[in-house]
Amino acid sequence: MSATRITRGVNRGGPIAITVDGIRIECFAGETVAAAMLAADHAVFRADTRGQRRGMFCNMGVCSECLVTLIAGGPHVRACLVEARDGMEVATRD
Amino acid sequence: MTEPERFDIAIVGGGPAGQAAAIALEGHGLSIAVIDEQIRPGGQILRQPPAAFTVANWLADRSYAPLKRQLDRFGQLKEVRWLGGHSAVGLQAGSIVATGPDGLRNIAADRILIAAGCQDLAVPLPGWTLPGVYAAGGIQAFVKSQQLLAGTRVLLAGTHPLQLIIAAQIVAAGGTVAAVLFAQPRAHMIAALAAQPLTALGRASDLFAAGTAMATLARAGAPIRFGVGLSALTGRDRVSGAVTSAGNVECDAVGLCYGFVPQSALPRMAGARMTAAGPAGGWACVHDDWMRTSVPGLYAAGETVGVAGAAAAAAGGELAGLGIALDLGLLDADTAQRAAQNSRRRFARHRAFASLLDAAADPRPFFPAPDSGTIVCRCEDVEFGPLSERVSAGGSANAVKLATRCGMGACQGRNCEPTLLRMISAAGGCDDVGFTARFPARAVSIADLLSSD
Repeated sequence: MSATRITRGVNRGGPIAITVDGIRIECFAGETVAAAMLAADHAVFRADTRGQRRGMFCNMGVCSECLVTLIAGGPHVRACLVEARDGMEVATRD
Repeated sequence: MTEPERFDIAIVGGGPAGQAAAIALEGHGLSIAVIDEQIRPGGQILRQPPAAFTVANWLADRSYAPLKRQLDRFGQLKEVRWLGGHSAVGLQAGSIVATGPDGLRNIAADRILIAAGCQDLAVPLPGWTLPGVYAAGGIQAFVKSQQLLAGTRVLLAGTHPLQLIIAAQIVAAGGTVAAVLFAQPRAHMIAALAAQPLTALGRASDLFAAGTAMATLARAGAPIRFGVGLSALTGRDRVSGAVTSAGNVECDAVGLCYGFVPQSALPRMAGARMTAAGPAGGWACVHDDWMRTSVPGLYAAGETVGVAGAAAAAAGGELAGLGIALDLGLLDADTAQRAAQNSRRRFARHRAFASLLDAAADPRPFFPAPDSGTIVCRCEDVEFGPLSERVSAGGSANAVKLATRCGMGACQGRNCEPTLLRMISAAGGCDDVGFTARFPARAVSIADLLSSD
């Protein structure tokens, strides 16, 4: 696992879970979908036209590399800007 | 489109500039909408943790104290309607189209301030599209807000001194920094700062912060190297290392830190006069003494007028607020001038320091070299080789875009435009406008557009 949550001095929101491409990811209320994914070692957001794995880049809403589909909310959602909600179903373009 | 919501003033951006403008406009009984993509105010400099978190000692370093005080004051303003979690995607004088959790909204305001901030300069090199490679600011935002370390061994590389601060914040949070690599020689940076010693000393707190960060990194055993350039980032399905001019470095996250460019889509879309922003590239909005742009009713402050840091942004935001009050007839000219004196002094001082920093961090001689297969346009997977061939055939950025799809994707050229313009310039071409800014400034779902008519 590469990305890790900082724990010292931090109290997160309550435990929740989302699914990403059908896989259950435990996370915390308040976390962005992107943070929840990275902390669960899901750093791949899509495959490019050459079949290479691609991750997110800017983490501030500009680069569009973290676009995901929310099953209940539609496509083209920037995972870095959207808070994870309990039960949220997310699909990457991978 | 639904009936517009009317405000006296709309501010795009809830960072230091937008907050300062709103504060300067307090007490006049105005209705002010503040639109920001983040859910909570603060901008990138005070990227707040989610409301559901409590973080002891959040950004406890003394340098953040004045900004935190301003943030508190902004939070108490009664006249402000906070529209967090919204993106301004369309702008013209008098009106803003924004997207948010409930779809599109149309915001009308006779006075609009654009304080949209800046973004990391995207710098293509072999391997930079691997998962785990980020804009350095993205890694810092994870630490500040999400309380997340982007990797267990983070490499920072580029030319900008901010990477020292980011590295020190990673170490302070318990993370490991593989190295901080400056592509330029140390003497180069020192010479740039020494060229104007009084200006440099005028921002002694910044120099001190950099010094403190270096001490923190030294204690943690994180090497800081100068004159070391990146050649490639390597890994199979994610980044696992870097090839540098001083050998290979193992890492599982990389932050690229070659500088910052204004977010200029909105003022360009509104037709405001722009100018080349600085050595890192990009476009800055031209303004007068009261932060008026060339478009009547439209004002700009913060990094939108040139990347100069939070203190300059706050001073510029105050000037914009006072300028708007002056133009609305709420202040007479003498009162406004008197009220603006202090802000003007600070604005000039911080911008002078920013130009020193620009010289010290100038990335132009130190960009990594892409190879022919390196992706330049991340959205459309346009590679350097074919792009280069098309550029050498001549033509504007828009012409290259049409021929290659470079800049045609979801980010609308935010990542690739500075690179393409450098390529055009290096090939002897001249392009003084870049891509035409088009609606929407951010990707919007068709469903949102359809449901709003």
